[in-house]
Amino acid sequence: MFQNLFKSIAANRVIRSIFRVGVPRSNLQRAQAAISSFLLHVQPAKVHKNVLKFRTTLGLGLITLYLFIILVVTGILLMFYYVPSTEHAYQDMKDLEFVVTAGLVLRNMHRWSAHLMVIFVILHLCRVFYTGAYKAPREFNWVIGVGLFLVTLGLSFTGYLLPWDQLAFWAVTVGTSIAGYAPVVGNKIKYMLLGGNIVGQSALLRFYVLHVIVLPSIAFFMISVHLFRVRKDGGLARPEEPTALQKEHILSQLPQSKTYGLMELARGTTPAVGIRQEDEVFTWPHLIFREMLLFLLVSSVVLLLAIFWNAPLEEAANAIHPPNPAKAPWYFLGLQELVAYSAFWGGVVVPTLVVTALVALPYIDRKRHGVGVWFSKERKVAITLFSICLIAAISLTVIGSLFRGPNWAFQLPWKTVPSEEFHP
Amino acid sequence: MSEPSLRPWYPWFTFLAFVLGLLVTTVFFKDQFREWKKWQNAYIKQEMAKATTAEQREAAAHIPIEIKQIVLPGLGRVDRCITCHVAVEDPSYAGLKQPLAYHVNHSQHPFEKFGCTVCHQGQGLATTKEAAHGNVPHWDRPMLPLNFLEASCAKCHTADELADAPKLAQGQAAFDKFGCIGCHKLQGRGGNVGPELDAVGARRSPEWLARHFKNPSKLVPGSAMPHFQMSDDEIAALTLYMLGQTGEHLSDYYVSMKTIPSADSGRRLFQERGCIGCHSVAKKGGVIGPALDDVSKRRTGKWIVDHFKDPQSVSPGSVMPKFGFTEQEIRALTAFLVSLSDPNVVGFLKVPSELTSIERGHTVFTKYGCAGCHNQDGNGGIPNPNAKTAEQVPSLKYVAEGYTKDELKKFIMNGQREIAMKDPSRPPPPLYMPAWKTRIPEGELDDLVDYLISLMPKDEKTSF
Repeated sequence: MFQNLFKSIAANRVIRSIFRVGVPRSNLQRAQAAISSFLLHVQPAKVHKNVLKFRTTLGLGLITLYLFIILVVTGILLMFYYVPSTEHAYQDMKDLEFVVTAGLVLRNMHRWSAHLMVIFVILHLCRVFYTGAYKAPREFNWVIGVGLFLVTLGLSFTGYLLPWDQLAFWAVTVGTSIAGYAPVVGNKIKYMLLGGNIVGQSALLRFYVLHVIVLPSIAFFMISVHLFRVRKDGGLARPEEPTALQKEHILSQLPQSKTYGLMELARGTTPAVGIRQEDEVFTWPHLIFREMLLFLLVSSVVLLLAIFWNAPLEEAANAIHPPNPAKAPWYFLGLQELVAYSAFWGGVVVPTLVVTALVALPYIDRKRHGVGVWFSKERKVAITLFSICLIAAISLTVIGSLFRGPNWAFQLPWKTVPSEEFHP
Repeated sequence: MSEPSLRPWYPWFTFLAFVLGLLVTTVFFKDQFREWKKWQNAYIKQEMAKATTAEQREAAAHIPIEIKQIVLPGLGRVDRCITCHVAVEDPSYAGLKQPLAYHVNHSQHPFEKFGCTVCHQGQGLATTKEAAHGNVPHWDRPMLPLNFLEASCAKCHTADELADAPKLAQGQAAFDKFGCIGCHKLQGRGGNVGPELDAVGARRSPEWLARHFKNPSKLVPGSAMPHFQMSDDEIAALTLYMLGQTGEHLSDYYVSMKTIPSADSGRRLFQERGCIGCHSVAKKGGVIGPALDDVSKRRTGKWIVDHFKDPQSVSPGSVMPKFGFTEQEIRALTAFLVSLSDPNVVGFLKVPSELTSIERGHTVFTKYGCAGCHNQDGNGGIPNPNAKTAEQVPSLKYVAEGYTKDELKKFIMNGQREIAMKDPSRPPPPLYMPAWKTRIPEGELDDLVDYLISLMPKDEKTSF
């Protein structure tokens, strides 16, 4: 019965005008389903089997994309209620909680997705590193990825200020003062970000505009390029293709009369059509179905978090009463920990070196071993170096978030002192 | 060709779709059954029960269920308390259980002008009991317990302005008695040994304040504040007084709404309406009308009021125009004019001018909080760890022996930042004598010195 209903819906004129192919029955139609749809044609009609394997990517990039989509949707809804003014912003948070229909859940979803997105961008970066997927021809896509990582941090940081509570105010005060440590231009950058010397109305407006227009547009554009290049660079990284000799052998076996469509040309392995056909599957339905399944999972998890855990909201911002210690958002706490040792080395030199090293990585590490293989034995040195840096970054962040008490003194996380005692 | 089958995944898809659906439904159910709706339904039920005619029942049935709020733009406040406390203005709900009770005695402070949180504190924006009553993390102004409610009066009034705020008066008296102002600054006056108290009520809980008064250094290690051995009543009174010091300038807002006819609001009106164009005060101003410095000596309050209403009615031939002041404005202006010529007003305390210099000096001693360190009547005995003088702030009983009047004046004016130590290896004494140079005016200083000299016990003096 359901099948008949499904069929009659699929046969409907209006539906057919939208989804021209209908329910794909033949391989041709399956290919057309992917090619003729604007949203689906980002992906080729057929993909390599390894794309379907969870362990290839752990779904990290896609999860990040989904979180970005959830953030855009919830963010637009939140914009209907939020006024970026020091007088209204905090009250708007309270209104969302106490008056607006599902307002609190909306804000929670936005907050948790934002934190998750930072985490998943980092995990995705690690995955690409550990599978050697940044190597030629994907060098530049890695660079774009590093850019997206920075844009994500920027989005999260600018959004951090908007609730205009103590947490927001002081985290941004600390965060922007780290920017001020850069030599020569540091204070100019800080002044430009804040529209003044302290966090106030101009800072709130600037962060708002950056958060809702500038950075999302940049992120959207860069994500598009990032995805486009995944395809143009030959799909997901996988272990070396057959050698040229083998390829020649395969080609010689093909019928000479066949014309090769241009649709599936990919750099480096042309002409790819017909090669190792047994290793490819149709995007529709195999990949699409898995992608939708992952979307259901991600949205369920975010909603679950949003229902049971509320986004933090402290007292209204108060420039006279700094909390002790005032902490930056968690993803900058490693940096703040470094700044506590030395403002110049920790706040300027180390982050500059890290970003430079990340951008330069694919151009320095040019050996073509271990592409598409997790923790390849041939890349011992690179993997060790990267892991050390990663562990250092995580340790610094953990120390900064959990082990730092008033006056940035070392403190065990379970021995917190009530903050009231520290106001004179 | 080996196309993998999708079938094993179908149950997962169904399951996750079901979970997501369930979560979305949860969100909307949670939203539909908000706490406050329960109380508005109870209110409607009550109204239905009260209704006697069909019309009334019809009206009760159509009471909308909605968030109600009082918006006070001048204060930047939105109070939604009446969302649950629906019946605060309906006397027939007197004595009912909260939240559906009538608010007795609110005629002086109409809700639409004052809201709720100005007096009761708490979180006006919230619509759940817990959050609204404010005993939640990150809300530093929970509702004032009823026994501390009078603290809020101090946001706009002084204790002597009010006949029915005895607890506030006790608090103010305790504040003067212990000489808090000697070390602490409040509303621009006072010493700087201890922290400023202007917004202390917004920062501290009643429990914290009470514990602190009981034993300051136990709660704040290293605090220089002496252990005053206050009685429980005094602690409660002082706690209440401190809770009223929230640093909010509410009276400014309400004065601008012309609800409090005080001398201050009168002064402002006097300036705004350009009275100075014709009249003079302290030899400044116009000469068309009479000087107003001692108008209240020449005229009764009633005459002044009538004159504002219609100058010619009490002063035929007067050229002063009829300004059409409101009743409130007239009361404020009259209060201002009376304050100009009150013979008892010297500085900020009312000091009867016919007192002796020694009596006036005692008032000055209280006014600047000398008792905070030197104890009441300069008896001494307030601990000052590691001070050479028996680890105490010295008594003032015998200053007449050690100082001439001029030396004493000089000492008070310059203070003494470094206090001699009993044991140089220990930390220096926390209390010290501030310099009063710019703070105590010459006339008051003379009276103070006379008072201090008079402290010398008579019999002992003669024994030398």
